[in-house]
Amino acid sequence: MANVTLKNIKKIYPYVKPKQKKGEPEKKTNLKIVDGGVVAVDDFNIEIADKEFIVLVGPSGCGKSTTLRMIAGLEEISEGDLLIDGERVNDVAPKDRDIAMVFQSYALYPHMSVYDNMAFPLKMRKVPKDEIDKKVREAAEILDITNYLDRKPKALSGGQRQRVAIGRAIVRNPKVFLMDEPLSNLDAKLRNQMRAEIIKLRKVIDTTFVYVTHDQTEAMTLGDRIVIMKDGEVQQIGTPQEVYRHPANLFVAGFIGVPQMNFYDADLLKEEDGYYVVVDGFKVKLSKEKQERLAANGVESRKVTLGVRPTHISIAKDKENAVVSTLDVYEDMGSEMYLHVKVLGKESIVIVQTVDIEEGTEFHQGQEIPITFNGDVALVFDPETERNLEF
Amino acid sequence: MKKGRARDGAAVNSELLRRPIRNCFWLFLLPTLAAFAIGFIYPFIKGFYLSFCKFTTTSDANFIGFGNYISAFKDATFVHAFWYTGLYAAVSLLLINLLAFIIAYLLTQGIKGSNIFRTVFFMPNLIGGIVLGYIWSMIFDGILSQYNTSILMETKYGFWGLIILMCWQQIGYMMIIYIAGLQSIPEDMMEAAKIDGASRWHTLIHVTIPNLMPSITICMFLTLTNGFKLFDQNLALTGGQPYIWQDDGTVVKTTEMLALNIFNTFYGESSGARGVAQAKAVLFFILVATISIAQLKGTNSKEVQQ
Repeated sequence: MANVTLKNIKKIYPYVKPKQKKGEPEKKTNLKIVDGGVVAVDDFNIEIADKEFIVLVGPSGCGKSTTLRMIAGLEEISEGDLLIDGERVNDVAPKDRDIAMVFQSYALYPHMSVYDNMAFPLKMRKVPKDEIDKKVREAAEILDITNYLDRKPKALSGGQRQRVAIGRAIVRNPKVFLMDEPLSNLDAKLRNQMRAEIIKLRKVIDTTFVYVTHDQTEAMTLGDRIVIMKDGEVQQIGTPQEVYRHPANLFVAGFIGVPQMNFYDADLLKEEDGYYVVVDGFKVKLSKEKQERLAANGVESRKVTLGVRPTHISIAKDKENAVVSTLDVYEDMGSEMYLHVKVLGKESIVIVQTVDIEEGTEFHQGQEIPITFNGDVALVFDPETERNLEF
Repeated sequence: MKKGRARDGAAVNSELLRRPIRNCFWLFLLPTLAAFAIGFIYPFIKGFYLSFCKFTTTSDANFIGFGNYISAFKDATFVHAFWYTGLYAAVSLLLINLLAFIIAYLLTQGIKGSNIFRTVFFMPNLIGGIVLGYIWSMIFDGILSQYNTSILMETKYGFWGLIILMCWQQIGYMMIIYIAGLQSIPEDMMEAAKIDGASRWHTLIHVTIPNLMPSITICMFLTLTNGFKLFDQNLALTGGQPYIWQDDGTVVKTTEMLALNIFNTFYGESSGARGVAQAKAVLFFILVATISIAQLKGTNSKEVQQ
């Protein structure tokens, strides 16, 4: 039970120049190199409230695991302050930070039984034996692994091993619970199951969580707030709905939501009665809130990148006032249909609910489909800075 | 399609390919088997037979039963060599493994120049045993002459001299095995221990060493068998000196180990003792085999399957 504050946290690794063969041109890297070395995490700021569930999400190499490891104390903090309950813990050893961590590989001790694995952190803290026994059995009960207490980890399945790893972390009621991609070694079905269990578990153990994943579904379903990272920089911090509805930039817009958001080149027109988006002759007026935000930012008529989610696009009745798209392939999912269409030469996806189309409607490749969307779901981004113009 | 049985192409192919090979697998086995038979099985059986014979050359051996074995057990030099070798093997087993582990542990902590140290520590292995023995006898005598003595003057000098020599030679080799073992322990398991609150010492005892058991097994096996079978270094360093003359006229070479004792018996003054040497060799084989199998069983059971 603790709040965690990260103030201007930075991680810089020493840069080792890759060996270059004679005559070969210098290899290009997209590493951010400063005088001190390679920047892995740049200027990370967040205040995590007590009992909050924070998810760090981003593609591999974005610095999310490094950030978690800095909170754990496994990685030195190059710059900035890390506070747990208001106390600066930059130089406090991991074991004295009162944190627990679950690793992607489970990191169980293979030579110990499940019971001993879970008892280990308590033994190291010299907890009396009867209390250890009580706590281990309690945790085993919560995680439904009581029957396996005598087994060695190798006799367990992946899901069971992950439960043991979680058990080892919860037995000592840590202030902060850190999880580093705990579900990515599990198969899809088990992952969904464990995800639901983590949601349940959270109600039982009720502590501060920091969870790292590259899976946006996990981020959306688990997090109170999501931190989206890319190249060591925080892109946006917000609730799942905030980042879904109001992505701060093109990266967040593309990263959150499955299937990915569609992007088109479009024009933003500022007319007397408000802002319009024009794409391939189709003109739509933006919603009132968007009008207000754009006006507040003093946005003028300009070229924009338009973002619309596949679920927000619908098939128009006729070709009048619609964007004409050409069907490439379609996937019938039963409840909905994924139409892969080409719009202005760009591939995009349209999801239509099967209840919205007449039974027996047939699609074929090359078919022209007029599509449309509303002004309240259109997102406009600056094509150069990639920022959301509403921000 | 013979006999009307339906077969797919792959089955036919593999059958066609396999049958001739299966029929003449002896041919393929022959070169190695012949080498093994000539170099090991035949001499072993012949040697075993000769341990029950009186002989000077192997062609005129006379079967005499267990006489050689009785003589071997009555031989004070053999009994002394037996205990001396046992003591040496125990001490070298402990020291070599302990020191090799400590060095391996230190060299896996990310110290600068670790690779250079590894190479340097490994280098003594590249020198042959006889050469090592002579070099070290010079070093020891160089030091001991300051105190008006020599490595050949006292049994304890010879014993510890051999221990130092063998540590110097073998630690590097065992260290490489321990380093490989240490590096194969998953990093996040160590990190988990760190977060679980284990100190460096507790991590070593509760996590590192249990996960290092495969390396410990192999190193213990190697040092133990090396200790019992030691010959070259023993011959070159002290050659068994100093000697003690018993009342009955026998000479006990106090730093003589089993292998050297067998060698000296075989090529000794009385050619009649060759059968006894042969009997000693068989006893030696049984001893080394028993101890190493027992040791393997003992440590294997402590290994963890990942």
